[in-house]
Amino acid sequence: MQSLSTRHLLGIKDLTESDIQLILATAKEFKDVINRPIKKVPSLRDITIANVFFENSTRTRLSFELAEKRLSADVVNFSASGSSVKKGETLLDTVNNILAMKVDMIVMRHSSPGAPHYLAKHIPANVVNAGDGTHEHPTQALLDSFSIQQKLGDVAGKRVAIIGDITHSRVALSNIFCLQKQGAEVMVCGPATLIPKHISALGVRVSHDVREALNWCDVANVLRIQLERQQIKYFPSLREYSLYYGISKQMLDELDRSIVLMHPGPINRGVELTSDAADSHHSIILDQVENGVAVRMAVLYLLAQL
Amino acid sequence: MSILLRSAHIIHSESAFNGLTRDVLIENGLIRQIADRIDAPDHAQVVELPNLHLSAGWVDMRVSTGDPGFEQKEDLTSACRAAVAGGFTDIAVLPNTRPVVDSKDTLGYVRRMAEGQPVAVHPIAAITKGAKGEDFTDMIDLHHAGAVAFSDGEHPLQNADLLLKTLQYLRPLGGLLMNRPEETGLTRFGQMHEGVQSTLLGLKGMPAMAEELMVARDLRLLAYVLGEAGTTEADTLPVLHFSCLSTAKSVELIRQAKEQGLPVSCDVAAHQLVFDDTALAGFDTFLKVNPPFRSRADVEALWAGLADGTIDAIVSDHSPQDDESKQVEFDHAEFGMTGLETVFGALMSHNPGLPLGQLIAALTTGPRRVLRLPTATIAEGEPATLTLFDPSGTWTFDRSVSKSKNSPFLGQTLTGRVLGTVRGGKLWR
Repeated sequence: MQSLSTRHLLGIKDLTESDIQLILATAKEFKDVINRPIKKVPSLRDITIANVFFENSTRTRLSFELAEKRLSADVVNFSASGSSVKKGETLLDTVNNILAMKVDMIVMRHSSPGAPHYLAKHIPANVVNAGDGTHEHPTQALLDSFSIQQKLGDVAGKRVAIIGDITHSRVALSNIFCLQKQGAEVMVCGPATLIPKHISALGVRVSHDVREALNWCDVANVLRIQLERQQIKYFPSLREYSLYYGISKQMLDELDRSIVLMHPGPINRGVELTSDAADSHHSIILDQVENGVAVRMAVLYLLAQL
Repeated sequence: MSILLRSAHIIHSESAFNGLTRDVLIENGLIRQIADRIDAPDHAQVVELPNLHLSAGWVDMRVSTGDPGFEQKEDLTSACRAAVAGGFTDIAVLPNTRPVVDSKDTLGYVRRMAEGQPVAVHPIAAITKGAKGEDFTDMIDLHHAGAVAFSDGEHPLQNADLLLKTLQYLRPLGGLLMNRPEETGLTRFGQMHEGVQSTLLGLKGMPAMAEELMVARDLRLLAYVLGEAGTTEADTLPVLHFSCLSTAKSVELIRQAKEQGLPVSCDVAAHQLVFDDTALAGFDTFLKVNPPFRSRADVEALWAGLADGTIDAIVSDHSPQDDESKQVEFDHAEFGMTGLETVFGALMSHNPGLPLGQLIAALTTGPRRVLRLPTATIAEGEPATLTLFDPSGTWTFDRSVSKSKNSPFLGQTLTGRVLGTVRGGKLWR
């Protein structure tokens, strides 16, 4: 049986193309599992996983938890609010305390880029990055690729436009790595202040015109405006953003061909997407959510085999 | 008490013995004799080491000690111990202690603690109270109390008018203003050099431009000050010094300023001559420094700046940090690395071909001139302030004598070994 080249999932950057293909192929099998009347397999019944979330999350945490439970793992959840973090405990102390209770795998979300890499260097357990600041969100990128694969058959050769706040987005960076490794073309689009100056060196196209991006792409992956991650002012107002960078159903309908609309959620309805666009036939946003569970099952399952 | 150095290869461009191998006899703190062969006097301490090289004592213009206020990171005694291990006979210490060295009182504390140390400690006084960039310190007072230069140290002077007035105010004293150029409005929340690497790591970047804008600004302010008063003889010494240059454009700006005859000088931290921003790929907090590691082209420009004399001095920018400040998430970690013990090893291990004499000049004559310290000469009858080293010797940096251990060189084998120093009639090693 094939296995992953790494014992942690820290970022897509560190994965090989065959790692990605293995995860996506495994996810396909798990998607079948979760659509059966009995949605559960016993694969990880001897494994205990802690979901350690130092940043707010509903869907990612829920998705991981369901993935873990459907693999029959024992699950504990830790979130920063009301935790010892506020008392000044270090990240390593917090995690080592959890590990002392015989936990085998850590799924962590953290606001600091590189926090899971730091952890992986210092603890024996497998680490899964569930989002590290503005760096990577590997399972999101994997589920996005899986969703494109499911919808369009293949990722290779597709044109994907990532639209919105690229600077503060871990989803954008992981998607760029993931899509490029599979042979897709990537464009990023947004106000110039929300696009990293050096992003084109990564081999992506850059646009500041949302219509240009929509006309170019097969898939539009629209990102949430990360107001909570912007420590400084990057654009004047949400009103102006939605006027010039928001996507409506009408804009999608006016294109000369049909494109796929994605969003990692949660949507700011009326900001980056109008409601009619989000709920239109172009949108696979809820499929992404469903696929998220299958992809995370695949990741956890494959890491547990190592 | 006498010390006899056997077969020492003398590296000192201003000495008649430069490039020669001689025995050197030191008695009562003075160089008594330099000759082909000297018979050891009774009770003389004889130093006979393979490939022994000798230069004037090395000067480190930029050291943070943490004393007073952060003694858990470094106190003056441990800093001096580290300085000796690194081959330094003189160090200039930054005012960013707690309290800040911004009064005769705090300056006096540093001077008292410096007494009897194996290294001469030259305190740098703050320009503004608390190094907050607001109200001036009593600079004439501090100058007379022994401040070797004025700087807000880790805090670049953001207010152009403050810098202008400081230059004007210090001028009649022949005082030196040191500024680390960084326009902090462009680097807020920044973690590393802005470039492809920062994009790949999702870390907020600090653009090279943030440094270059302030170099350009400060040079313009200096020209304004000089233009209004006319140049004087005192201006042959630098009146404005830029600390820790890190970008190619900064070097170029200072090269041009020197060509125009502006009395400016600058230094580079040894570690900037080694690492570029790709070193941060593993989020190693020991490599988080400010200014940050730039591109490879910048590193090459810094070496070129040393080669053509644009850069006057190499510093350690020794910034001790305890585990609590470094064993944390990257963006929570403090900036800085220790450097006193590894300057020479870092330089010799990564030297792209600069002649040894030029490197040594950036540790001796360069910083001495900038800081207005007495010239050190290797000649009979002169005070013996010397550094002993082996430029090709290898050693493993397995144990640091600094209180802090935040060095990326720990555990590494380096070329370029310090063998000891001579100062105050004593051999230190």
